Amino acid sequence: MACLERASPALKRILLKLYRENKSIEIDHHLYEFGSVEYHIQSSTSDTHYTYLSVSTPLLSQGVILPNGISQYTKQMVKGICPDVVEIMEPAKEGYQITLRLDLSKIPNGKDSIKVIADISAVQAVILSSQLKEMLMNVSSQDTFQGMYKTIKLVYHPREPFFIVRQPQKILAVFPIRFKDKTDVIIATAFFQELMDVGSSEKWAKAPPCCWSPIPPPELRGEPFEDLSTNGGFVSFDISSRHVKGKRLDKTVWSLLNFYAYVKYHVKSTRSFIQRRMRKRLQRLVEVLQKRSMQEEEKEEEEEGNHKVQGCMFMRKMINVSKPKVLKRRYNDLSGKIKRIRSRIKIQGFGRFRRRWLKMPKFSSSLGYTKLD
Amino acid sequence: MSNTLRLYLTCIRNTLDAAMCLQNFPCQEVERHNKPEVELKTSSELLLNPVLICRNEAEKCLIETSINSLRISLKVKQADELENILTKKFLRFLSMRAEAFQVLRRKPVQGYDISFLVTNYHCEDMQKHKLIDFIVQFMEDIDKEISELKMSVNTRGRLVATEFLKQFM
Repeated sequence: MACLERASPALKRILLKLYRENKSIEIDHHLYEFGSVEYHIQSSTSDTHYTYLSVSTPLLSQGVILPNGISQYTKQMVKGICPDVVEIMEPAKEGYQITLRLDLSKIPNGKDSIKVIADISAVQAVILSSQLKEMLMNVSSQDTFQGMYKTIKLVYHPREPFFIVRQPQKILAVFPIRFKDKTDVIIATAFFQELMDVGSSEKWAKAPPCCWSPIPPPELRGEPFEDLSTNGGFVSFDISSRHVKGKRLDKTVWSLLNFYAYVKYHVKSTRSFIQRRMRKRLQRLVEVLQKRSMQEEEKEEEEEGNHKVQGCMFMRKMINVSKPKVLKRRYNDLSGKIKRIRSRIKIQGFGRFRRRWLKMPKFSSSLGYTKLD
Repeated sequence: MSNTLRLYLTCIRNTLDAAMCLQNFPCQEVERHNKPEVELKTSSELLLNPVLICRNEAEKCLIETSINSLRISLKVKQADELENILTKKFLRFLSMRAEAFQVLRRKPVQGYDISFLVTNYHCEDMQKHKLIDFIVQFMEDIDKEISELKMSVNTRGRLVATEFLKQFM
């Protein structure tokens, strides 16, 4: 599916850099987004005026790949981003659906420049939206088959097709919901129920009514079985004429194209929210246990201390030693300690070593005398 | 706290108080080994009758006692699918970090959501009444946490739904 933000942030940054550098710089970048969208930006010092931007994107198709790639209507819409700056090159660069020649020098100065660059960066969104708009315009409300209105299956991502049913008063958009994980299905189902509740309230009466059901709506009768087998049910929006008037058309189309991405994003962030909360809760639970064990240790220590004091008192009572005796014992202990400190250090075998090696030589002199035994 | 929950928790507290009189007892099968008899169940004379306390079909507590160990298994209520996955996720999360709780079993007893194993060593290290307080508090907290988590997930869903519908206005 499309992404939630229209403008590609990386493309916008590079174009802004190119615009802010007055002189042309050498750039040859390949950018990849969402695994399937590719941008190629080329700017060279030899060609000072123009920057070339090629875009390759999976196209929204009705199950069949268009032979010519991008339609004329889509090209017009792309050209309409900023006609002075953007020019579509024919033919497009090999491997890309569209190649644009950008004359960044023609971008007006001031605040508008950033807006124009953001619009150019959203070229992929323009291609996608205009395709859906074109399909909606081409479907005639008279196309009926045995009383049933014609259903268009739109495929952008192979695993995420959705259906558009044009009826006289409204357009019905049906999204089959599939998830790999059961947890995701349950979180998404809770979200759809909230969506239904919110949509049915008076405050949101102007918003398109939303309906979630585990079984496919009757409008999808006759569709292939693999398209109707889901684990998350079917979400359908009733788009009335007021939702596709003027500027609202663009918003509505973008919201529909982004519905899968929106739901997936919500599921992913809810899962991480649950994980975050569980982690916090674990910390609190462990803290309680640790606090308890610490309190217990402290208490035990206190109790042990109390016991010791009691024990001493008890022993004192039992022995009942007189004061002079205690003083004498203390004096003896102290004097013993002093003696131990002042006594010579005894090293085993040192005496023999001293006698053998540190013996002073005896000098015999004529004046001296020898001891007679 | 609702009246039925208070009664349920009081009953568990009293049963635990009665059951938690553990003593050191070496293994009778292997020399110089000391194993929780409630887990091994090798000698029937060392085991007491298990006690099952039920609040309703979905909420119950099994207390298995032996001479040197006690096993408490809990089944937490799961009213709907969302509560079911939240309970499973949360209790699995706790079980995987069982070393932080000392008395938590890594794998719950079959048919239950979470199990505790208290041995005589735990009773010696920690005070008995504090241990019982912790288990009862844990049960209360789990119920509260699951309800709060469910409410938070629904509130988030409502906010996201509102933001989505705003795009059409």
